[in-house]
Amino acid sequence: MSIHYFCSRWHGLVLLSAALMAVQLVAQEHPSEPAKMIDFARDIRPILSATCFGCHGPDEATREADLRLDDRESVFDESGVVVPGDIDASELYQRLITNDEYSKMPPPDEGEPLTVQQIESLRLWIEQGAEWSEHWSFKAPAKSALPQVQHAVWPENEIDTFILANNELMGLSQNPPADRATLIRRLTLDLTGLPPTPEEVQAFTDDPSADAFERVVDRLLNSPRYGEHQARFWLDAARYGDTHGLHLDNYREMWLYRDWVIDAFNRNLPYDQFVIEQLAGDLLTNPTEAQRIATGFNRAHVTTNEGGSIEEEVFVRNVTDRVATTGTVFMGLTVACAACHDHKYDPISMREFYQLFAYFNSLDGPPMDGNAKVHEPSLAKPTEDQRVALQRLDEELATTRQQIDVELAKIEYVEPEQTVEAEFAGPVEFVWVDDDLPDGAKPHERWEFVSVGDGPVLSGKKSHKGSANGFHQHFFVDATKPLRIAKGDLLFCYAYLDPENLPQQIMLQWNDGSWDHRVYWGENIINFGTDGSAARLRLGDLPAAGEWVRLEVPAEKVNLQPGALVHGWAFSQSGGTVYWDKAGIVSDHPQNIEYHSFTTWIDDQRKTQGAGLPEKFKKGLSNDQAELDEQELAELQRYFLQNVYHDTREVFAPLQQRIEQLEKQRSEVQAMVPTTLVYREKPEPRPAFMLDRGQYDAPGEPVERDVPKFLPRLPVGVSNDRLGLAKWLVDPHHPLTARVQVNRIWQQFFGTGIVQTTEDFGAQGTWPSHPQLLDWLAVEFVDSGWDIKHIIKLIVMSATYQQASRITAEGLVKDPQNRWLSRGPRYRLDAETLRDQALAVSGLLVDRIGGPSVKPPQPDGLWFAVGYSGSNTVRFKKDDGPEKVHRRSLYTFWKRTAPPPQMSIMDAPSREECSVRRERTNTPLQALMLMNDPQYVEAARYFAQLILGHPGDTHARIEWMFKRALGRKPSTLETNIFEAHYQAAFDAFKSDEDGARRLVSIGEEPARLDGLAAVELAAWTMTANLIMNLDEFVSKP
Amino acid sequence: MKHDILQRYAQLETRRQFFSTGAMGLGTAALATMLPSTITAQDDVRRASVSNPGLPSLPHFAPKAKRAIYLFMSGAPSQMDMFDYKPAMDDWYDKDLPESIRDGQRLTTMTSGQSRFPIVPSKYKFTRHDNGGDGMWVSELMPHTAKIVGELAFVRSVWTEAINHDPAITYLCTGNQLPGRASLGAWLSYGLGSENENLPAFVVLNATWTGRKEAQALYNRLWGNGFLPPKHQGVLLRTGADPVLFLNNPDGVDSAMRRRMLDALGKLNQQTFDAVGDPEIQARIAQYEMAFRMQSSVPELVDLSGESTEVIESYGPDVHQPGTFAYSCLLARRMSERGVRFVQIFHRGWDQHFNIPTDLPNQCRDVDQAAAALIMDLKQRGLLDETLVVWGGEFGRTIYCQGALSRDNYGRDHHPRCFTMWMAGGGIKPGVVHGETDEFGYNVIKDPVHIRDINATILNRLGINHDRFAYRHQGLDQRLTGVEEAKPVEAIIL
Repeated sequence: MSIHYFCSRWHGLVLLSAALMAVQLVAQEHPSEPAKMIDFARDIRPILSATCFGCHGPDEATREADLRLDDRESVFDESGVVVPGDIDASELYQRLITNDEYSKMPPPDEGEPLTVQQIESLRLWIEQGAEWSEHWSFKAPAKSALPQVQHAVWPENEIDTFILANNELMGLSQNPPADRATLIRRLTLDLTGLPPTPEEVQAFTDDPSADAFERVVDRLLNSPRYGEHQARFWLDAARYGDTHGLHLDNYREMWLYRDWVIDAFNRNLPYDQFVIEQLAGDLLTNPTEAQRIATGFNRAHVTTNEGGSIEEEVFVRNVTDRVATTGTVFMGLTVACAACHDHKYDPISMREFYQLFAYFNSLDGPPMDGNAKVHEPSLAKPTEDQRVALQRLDEELATTRQQIDVELAKIEYVEPEQTVEAEFAGPVEFVWVDDDLPDGAKPHERWEFVSVGDGPVLSGKKSHKGSANGFHQHFFVDATKPLRIAKGDLLFCYAYLDPENLPQQIMLQWNDGSWDHRVYWGENIINFGTDGSAARLRLGDLPAAGEWVRLEVPAEKVNLQPGALVHGWAFSQSGGTVYWDKAGIVSDHPQNIEYHSFTTWIDDQRKTQGAGLPEKFKKGLSNDQAELDEQELAELQRYFLQNVYHDTREVFAPLQQRIEQLEKQRSEVQAMVPTTLVYREKPEPRPAFMLDRGQYDAPGEPVERDVPKFLPRLPVGVSNDRLGLAKWLVDPHHPLTARVQVNRIWQQFFGTGIVQTTEDFGAQGTWPSHPQLLDWLAVEFVDSGWDIKHIIKLIVMSATYQQASRITAEGLVKDPQNRWLSRGPRYRLDAETLRDQALAVSGLLVDRIGGPSVKPPQPDGLWFAVGYSGSNTVRFKKDDGPEKVHRRSLYTFWKRTAPPPQMSIMDAPSREECSVRRERTNTPLQALMLMNDPQYVEAARYFAQLILGHPGDTHARIEWMFKRALGRKPSTLETNIFEAHYQAAFDAFKSDEDGARRLVSIGEEPARLDGLAAVELAAWTMTANLIMNLDEFVSKP
Repeated sequence: MKHDILQRYAQLETRRQFFSTGAMGLGTAALATMLPSTITAQDDVRRASVSNPGLPSLPHFAPKAKRAIYLFMSGAPSQMDMFDYKPAMDDWYDKDLPESIRDGQRLTTMTSGQSRFPIVPSKYKFTRHDNGGDGMWVSELMPHTAKIVGELAFVRSVWTEAINHDPAITYLCTGNQLPGRASLGAWLSYGLGSENENLPAFVVLNATWTGRKEAQALYNRLWGNGFLPPKHQGVLLRTGADPVLFLNNPDGVDSAMRRRMLDALGKLNQQTFDAVGDPEIQARIAQYEMAFRMQSSVPELVDLSGESTEVIESYGPDVHQPGTFAYSCLLARRMSERGVRFVQIFHRGWDQHFNIPTDLPNQCRDVDQAAAALIMDLKQRGLLDETLVVWGGEFGRTIYCQGALSRDNYGRDHHPRCFTMWMAGGGIKPGVVHGETDEFGYNVIKDPVHIRDINATILNRLGINHDRFAYRHQGLDQRLTGVEEAKPVEAIIL
């Protein structure tokens, strides 16, 4: 029954088809309308899925009566569930219409009964022969012959032919093309997320050549703004964020992945490669740095480090998110439904879910994120500046070390006859903390020294103080000359408890890499460490108050063994006020002194077992009996001369200092090097198991990696790992990948996908508005080498896309949602585009591409209101300077538990989970934001400055403003309204100059004007505020 | 014939679209022009509300409550120090929790490493208070709540599966432990719509607290829309100049100027509508007008000058400090009066792993008097009958001690197996105590109530059958109560 056959009887067909389609749609009210032609995939499967599959579908565990209605064999078996052409013999139908409450389906407590029209559709289907087909999207797409159309001159390309054919059948006419100014505005917003400049509009409207539009398309596709705009859609799908997303929601560094996405779109990386690199870039042979960065896709999910979490549970959630996201983004399948039971609607068994799980469970890194910005595995990528700096530092280090070698070679060491160090034979008190912190120590922010006069001081000129209602501590870490612990050492410090404000508990803690060395006096409130162990040891009651008391702690008691290096010390308390002073160690070996004798030094090193010396010396110094061979002795002597020997300190100290400086600089640069989370596979895959009801602690039988049976097998010759899985996805025979992606592209341009449920192409998804077009595009996509720009160009070059968006009376009635594309797409711009447009029109937009996220201003307190007190994103601090606050919105810092309001108010998702479709709402909160948000007001003021800079009278300026904001001239009426508005604003500000001054002071760089200049600028600011709130301004035209 | 059919299809499609997309669709624009400019908070005009009419299929049955206030105690209050009286534990001080009671139950990794689980009885004195029935034991930490137990229905047998804060609070607020679902308030906004044209249907307040400073985080998802249209997400009502984000005109711009700007905007947008015919444009005009009305309705809402001293004082001394729980409770009452469908106050700081004796009394002082005052204030105004009030946290705490134990100091870990919540007002039986835990307060021994049942109860009081209240997303009919069985708690409802 080809279209061609009907061609000669065209009019008849139009009438018949239009009637049929309409009948089908009004069947609700008129079930008795004659002969609707049933299409199983479109009309029947959705009914079965929605009303029957729950108990008679793919899920074996809940299947009733061993009957499945998603399976042809079962439906047409000899028991007569469905007998084609015979409704009386078809049990399925009889069970629907019976009055017998015991056999009627569905049982009353199992769901709503079928509607009259659903039953009618099933009747017609059986009567018409009960044609059956597999679910449409599970069969590979093929290009069907192009339909014939009547209005043959209209189509610009194949897209139009499909659209037109359908609409001709429906009796829907197409809109005329949009005018050029509208067209270039629509196109530029769609391809770059920014408005065209007036010059670009002018050039296009003035261009008489036939390919004028195509040249604009090509220009925009090659603009770097294109990649940025495309990327931000992808970032929703990839659930990209700048924080972990759960619990503490700390900073997590991943923007290199965002840069990769932008770049991938800009260089038009073929989609198959785009998929492979993100899913399995690490498994490619000799992957490039960029390919490894791409694997961040599967690391972008939310993670946690919540105290008390059970690691295995977190692990399962992480892996499940990767599987679910892969299913949604690449296949439009809701695979995660099968995590707890077989899928209710699509043929994905629970086993198959865990077989997919097995591809994603072998990440070589911990499930908990450590609340750190780097959650291994990761990749560090120095910027060019950093690379140069590191190289320079390395060179300088090498030169300095050479100098040391030269100096060493000059020394002829002679052991002195009499050792000077003998005086250290007995225990000596070494004060480590007095009026200053030890060298290199990094103090905690609450460290507070107090001088004589402000509080009691025991030694020197200062003590340090802690005071609080509850828990308080101050500490330092990273002292460069640590305390070296030897046998029998005694740690000490002095404390003065304020008798007016007694603490309940005081505690000392030492850090040798871990803080698990603690003693306390008084109550047991501070809960660090295991009670009763060396990590929390009670030494007695609180010391006497109102006087300095010396506290002494044998190092061994807190498990600081000989050889330990203490480089941090914490002074903690629960409540009260405590002063501390003079802390250090009593030891019979000296700390940090210079030696005259190598032999004495060696003896001392044995006492501390070589603590603080390079690892290679430790064995030889581990006890008094350990032997040092010639080689070791020689090296030790070099070390001694260079670092400890009194007579050569003058020579080496500056060189050593230089090395320390350089190394410090190096580590500072190193700490700034951008990092990003990547995927890396464990050397051996982790075994995978079925998890009973999805419970992490209920593993069942082991499962092997495999793809679901209803989809093609893995291609021959690929490895059975993520790389194989990725290659399977982009195999031309895969029925879903190309369809899902072209549908998503379509959605970007028309607001709605051909399949409206972009995230679900399964049985519960919506039926495509234009199935043949979708398939044609999918095949075209694959045939073109997965060329995204090619598909986009096809779309924007189509007559369908270029139609005017005006809604005619006919369109309103017959195509209210524009699902049939009888007009051009028109809807409110997305969050990012709205803000970027405001910045662009006002001339504020900074066009730098890529880099770390930035924090433009947002209302105070949004983070603090929800943030965990200890989170490093608990307080929002806006960035300073136009370079940061006026970047495109895709660079805005995204805290996932409190996303930027400028984005979420405009319907952006939270990025806590994958999202492939945004809602589009229209609310008063949006109106308030567009009118009042300081960033939008600032944009209006800068726009006003530009307007004022334009020569001419008010009329001329209004015209210029229109061209810049909307790409067109105003009508007379519009000019009059604007002029009146400007004049009224001017008059109002004239009598309120202070108000004018305040208005133009809003923003990153206040205008600093007053008097008439401020009044004029303020009036234009309000005029710009008006145009920037027009429906036309906030909508794609 | 053809014409007729198409015409009918078109009408059908138009109706269908109106009902499916609500106010944002075609029908709204048409309605907007038919409506008077001011709309009162009457139930019968709710359907016609411009911004958020709710679903035509709701309510499923006559609601007992028109709106709800949820007092959320984030961090998990220690039920055995407040409401779940366990006198037998006095003899168990520092004795190990019997293995038979713990029964292999999983613990958080914060205490799973503890060598023993010593029982710590509450150090607080409990008194039995008359509630018109069998009485209710309340500790000395909640003296004001104790006085109104006759108004409340306590459920001491609530339980959940989640054992850590983030998943647990997400579970209770959205029906799932993982992000992505719609919150209770968003469901109510979506289903029942707004009663007040000038205020949002769902308002959230984040109160200050005075107990443990290292408070658990909250997440926007707790009042998020999830898969529902974003207009249903909770609107944060903040302290300070801009109670609603971007409410105030820019500095230097007064209301008259904004009015002039909106007049011009309306004219210009109407012109665009005439040229383009997109009904969305008329919806936008209406939204800008509502924004303007909010600029006066919100300041009026937070202006307490019309409240009597007596009422203000009843909420306790903190009420004078904007942002406190007491202040938030008073605002909640004012919002309920104005028909805000759902108000949720989050009070943080209840995570007492340690230092119950220092931190818990502060937490209780924050909420006790204000919550009790809210109930009585609503009652006095005749609003309690139609306003459901819910109090509770995301799970309970353990009978055994976390960290060092002494008579005077102790802490408790997370305990999902039982905890206490209360409800009052709209359709709730007053003076009820439902559910029972064992003598250790460790397991439910009578009438377990899953958090799904709590949510089902809330929906039920608002006239919604939780089973039939679904939204198709990712191929599934999503429900607040999930896929597992849930039922309203019959014993506490009228």
